[in-house]
Amino acid sequence: MSKKGDDIWKNVDKINSELFTLTYGSIVAQLCRDFNHNYHEVNNQLDQMGYNIGIRLIEEFLSRTGAQRCQSFKETVEVITKLGFRVFLNIQPAVENWSSDGRSCSIVLPEPNPLNEFVEIPPTKDLWYCQILCGILRGALQMIQLDVDVNFVKDTLKGDDKTEIRLKLNKILKDEVPAGED
Amino acid sequence: MTSYYFSIIGTRDNPVYEFEFSSFKNSLAMSTSTSVPGKSQFSASIKEMLPFISNSSLDIIEDAQWTTNLFYLGKIDSFYGLLVNAFITQGNIKFVLCYDVSNGTTQKYDDSSIKQFFIEANDLYVKCLLNPFYSVNDAIVSPDFDLRLKLIAKKYL
Amino acid sequence: MSNDNIILPSAASLSTLSIADNPKSGFGYNPSLGPLSNTITPESSNILLNRKTLSLTPTSGNSIYDKNVNNKKINEINLSSLSFLFCEAVNWTHRNSKGIQDLETRLNGLGYQVGQRFLELIKLREGVKSSKREIKIIDILRFIHGTFWKSIFGKTANELEKSQDASNEYMIIDNVPLVSKFISIPKDYGNLNCSAFMAGIIEGALDSSSFHANVTAHSAPIDGVPLRTVFLIKFDEQLVIRESLRFN
Repeated sequence: MSKKGDDIWKNVDKINSELFTLTYGSIVAQLCRDFNHNYHEVNNQLDQMGYNIGIRLIEEFLSRTGAQRCQSFKETVEVITKLGFRVFLNIQPAVENWSSDGRSCSIVLPEPNPLNEFVEIPPTKDLWYCQILCGILRGALQMIQLDVDVNFVKDTLKGDDKTEIRLKLNKILKDEVPAGED
Repeated sequence: MTSYYFSIIGTRDNPVYEFEFSSFKNSLAMSTSTSVPGKSQFSASIKEMLPFISNSSLDIIEDAQWTTNLFYLGKIDSFYGLLVNAFITQGNIKFVLCYDVSNGTTQKYDDSSIKQFFIEANDLYVKCLLNPFYSVNDAIVSPDFDLRLKLIAKKYL
Repeated sequence: MSNDNIILPSAASLSTLSIADNPKSGFGYNPSLGPLSNTITPESSNILLNRKTLSLTPTSGNSIYDKNVNNKKINEINLSSLSFLFCEAVNWTHRNSKGIQDLETRLNGLGYQVGQRFLELIKLREGVKSSKREIKIIDILRFIHGTFWKSIFGKTANELEKSQDASNEYMIIDNVPLVSKFISIPKDYGNLNCSAFMAGIIEGALDSSSFHANVTAHSAPIDGVPLRTVFLIKFDEQLVIRESLRFN
């Protein structure tokens, strides 16, 4: 699957990742100013923005990769890390710490990642700088009928040894019949 | 030993960072004496004047910056035995170094090491600027920046 | 490593350091105290001379100051990623703004921050030997049209023109601005131009170099080039006077 990721990557339009990094930085800094350094609000806003991105990003992902329905959550996560992150962020996260029921795992982001290069966050425990990723994952997975909880547990920007996202599958959403149809 | 006063001055003539020190060369010999290697040896009366001297050289810097394309402006001012060297970035941030001339060091040698010091300080400044939480003209309070700048000072001056 | 070794400033935001805050490690400039705050002490002198490693902040071991900015190879990322991020930023900005003009001003503000940083970064990367500071209006504009645009967007801008009507107006023209590749404006937004973000990048770069200007983006399509955008750069009158005094 990594080779497929490489092939797709060859064909995408590419830009300077520093433009992306500085743009994201500018957005986060502006959010902090707008919310008066209430970092919980900033996290929520980033998550919401990520969700809005995720629900649209999934379509582009599916059309680019032609990925088929996955048989298990484990497979879904593999597709996310080997294809999704590769195609959109050009990074390859690792997956570890699967729970015994196969419904939750940790995604460890490699350093450096294009979102947080050259960032030094203010001395606070509250801000999760890359929170937008959680929203993106949540939104994208919701569109393929998976209700998940996504949150950061560790962040190198706070001094931890790695940046880790915990992904937990809550339930599989049944396809709902739209109102008005039988 | 030469004592130095290094300051980074922002676009509104505001000091963004300051650092007083003395030459780290010959520090091995110095550690046996009572003085601390690297601690500035400016007398109290000169210490008071240093920010003023830095600031007054800003006029000269502003004149010089429009006559040359160079980043390193060299020695731009002198004040009763204190020399002032300056460096200016494209974004108009000024690095100013005031130092007293002591015996035993030639002017030419100092110039190239001062230039190298400024170039590495510029590199450090750009890294500080890339942080989205740092705005231009904010004071640089990061202890990591301070440590690395001191290491650069030890390396070149 | 125990947490006792790391002394963080007590203020919630570093910018509000007061006279009372003095890091015990001896590293860290405190603007309220001046050079006294980070002067060399016997302990810090010892640390510097013996190159001891020190954890001053939670991220000292992995500090941004140890990373190399001078890398020749530019990392790349998918254009869609920036487009998704940017579209969402426009959405959020739109919810918080009071009209098209306000929205364009806010986008300009986002770009301004980016422009300030890119300016210093690109000049640093040009290298000490070959780079020079731009001190004339025409030189800084050529720099922005050429090297600056190429580093950020992967290609130079298309044209650089001086306005016939006003002595303080210049135009940089881009046939396919990056931002327009992926945004389409709904009809009821009228003359909103998201290239205001790119205009902000130019404005940030110019203001930092002390060429104060107002930069706005205008759609100016011609045959075969539907996305053509003109960035109108309006310098302060005083700047033009200063320029002619200096260099004539």
